[in-house]
Amino acid sequence: MFIDKSMTRDVLTVDPGTSIAEANELMSRNRIRHLPVIDQDSRLVGIVTDRDIRSAMPSNLLSEEAVAREIKQIALLKVKDIMTRNVVTVSPMNTLEDALLLMQRTKVGAFPVLDLQGKLIGIISVRDLMRAFINVLGIEEAGTLLCILAEDKLGQMKRIVDAITEERIPFGSILVARYWEEGKRAVFPYLLTSNVARVKAKLEGLGYTLLNPMQWSLDQLPKKADKISE
Amino acid sequence: MKRTGLLYDERFLLHSTNQGHPECSDRLEIAYGALKEAGLLSQLTLIQATPARLKWIERVHSPRHIFRFEEACMLDLGELDNPDNQICKDSYDIALLAVGGILKTIDLVMEGKLDNAFCAVRPPGHHAEINRALGFCYFNNVAIAAKYLQEQWGVQRVGIVDVDAHHGNGTQQIFFNDPTVFYYSIHEHPSFSFPGTGREFERGIEEGEGFTLNSPVLPGQGDEAYQELLQRDLFPAFASFKPEVVLLSAGFDAHMDDDMSNINLSSEGYSWIMQRMVDLAEAYANGRLISILEGGYSLKRLPELIKNHLEILLDK
Repeated sequence: MFIDKSMTRDVLTVDPGTSIAEANELMSRNRIRHLPVIDQDSRLVGIVTDRDIRSAMPSNLLSEEAVAREIKQIALLKVKDIMTRNVVTVSPMNTLEDALLLMQRTKVGAFPVLDLQGKLIGIISVRDLMRAFINVLGIEEAGTLLCILAEDKLGQMKRIVDAITEERIPFGSILVARYWEEGKRAVFPYLLTSNVARVKAKLEGLGYTLLNPMQWSLDQLPKKADKISE
Repeated sequence: MKRTGLLYDERFLLHSTNQGHPECSDRLEIAYGALKEAGLLSQLTLIQATPARLKWIERVHSPRHIFRFEEACMLDLGELDNPDNQICKDSYDIALLAVGGILKTIDLVMEGKLDNAFCAVRPPGHHAEINRALGFCYFNNVAIAAKYLQEQWGVQRVGIVDVDAHHGNGTQQIFFNDPTVFYYSIHEHPSFSFPGTGREFERGIEEGEGFTLNSPVLPGQGDEAYQELLQRDLFPAFASFKPEVVLLSAGFDAHMDDDMSNINLSSEGYSWIMQRMVDLAEAYANGRLISILEGGYSLKRLPELIKNHLEILLDK
């Protein structure tokens, strides 16, 4: 899952001399939050976000007079005056997982994608990642999710997949997650059928426990010593 | 007592699915037997089906879908696109017959010869989309009924209530941009149940925005949740929409004994809902309620639920 398959290729950009009013207009009209700033050679020199622009605006605690004065000054500001110059970028050979983990680590919502020559060729944002993962989960197709508890040992997935395949049920996706109980895994096959009663009974017959979906919560996963999140 | 119609035709049993398939002909046969045994048939107007004209199917479905369905049956392929959608040589003809029977029932209600009716049809319809079969459904019976009411009978506003445990994705899709047909569905939450649509934020688009309404119900919930949600969502919606005819997608698979959902409605809970449907039809539609069978797979419970439903329609 490489970034260049999921990134947005038609990137809206501005040059360093663009006024911030114009940049603001461009973002709100296109409902985006990030504008890469490039020079004449398509080389990335910075990035400006809707937040950078908001921060440049006068505080609403100021007097009317002061606001008017500040707005005059702001009107003179260019993108280069407020942009972030130290941009976190990725390459098309980075993966979606790289981007996901990097977003969590840097708390940045979009990364410009640069080719080996440093030219801007795309942007990958939270929105692109969401689309990619909705696609991976297959949840836009009609189907039913099963929640199965299995021993964490070799061959369990095969048994589960075989049992479902014997019922001639097509798969949308299958997700395996850690479980809060030691030595167990939670398996979530998303099945492209409305008819799961029989396969559920079959899986129970094979000794699997079907989890009550109402009891399942990602928060109940064992807490990992998480260096990344904070 | 009301003049209530019952559409039932033995030929509906000819749409045959593989052994073990939940949408089987036993569903209807056993239910009809129970009505007979209870002595209810003599109080009902029995309606025999005649095949629908293709032009009514075409008001909802693409020619591509119609032809593929017909061809798959002629070639006896056994299924259409997914093992869920099992077909036999007769399935296409029976699906046409089911729609035709419903249109005939509509005529009787609109001519004033009947007050209301229940259509005990197979195959069901509410998952069928414009261009594909899905979830045991080939032609969207209730959607075609709505179009027929509008075009044949000049009805301006049709209200559809879908109480099947599964969301009627097909019906929603067909009327998503249409402000003249209000689609309301109450069903098991899509994260836990087929087909994965019918979330609260799906409310119609363009001119149809606000004319689709979904009440997802969490697994394990039952009578109380349904009563709350119908009162919170459906009743005010219909009070402002004022449907001239109410169509009901009557699915009985939200019963606690039905293993096709995790919803726990009791038989009494179903009766409460069905009584409210009659009340809504009385309030806005001069009593015109046409109920069309969708799901309901518990061979133990379906006959009882259909019998209760008919007694409520009859207002015995």
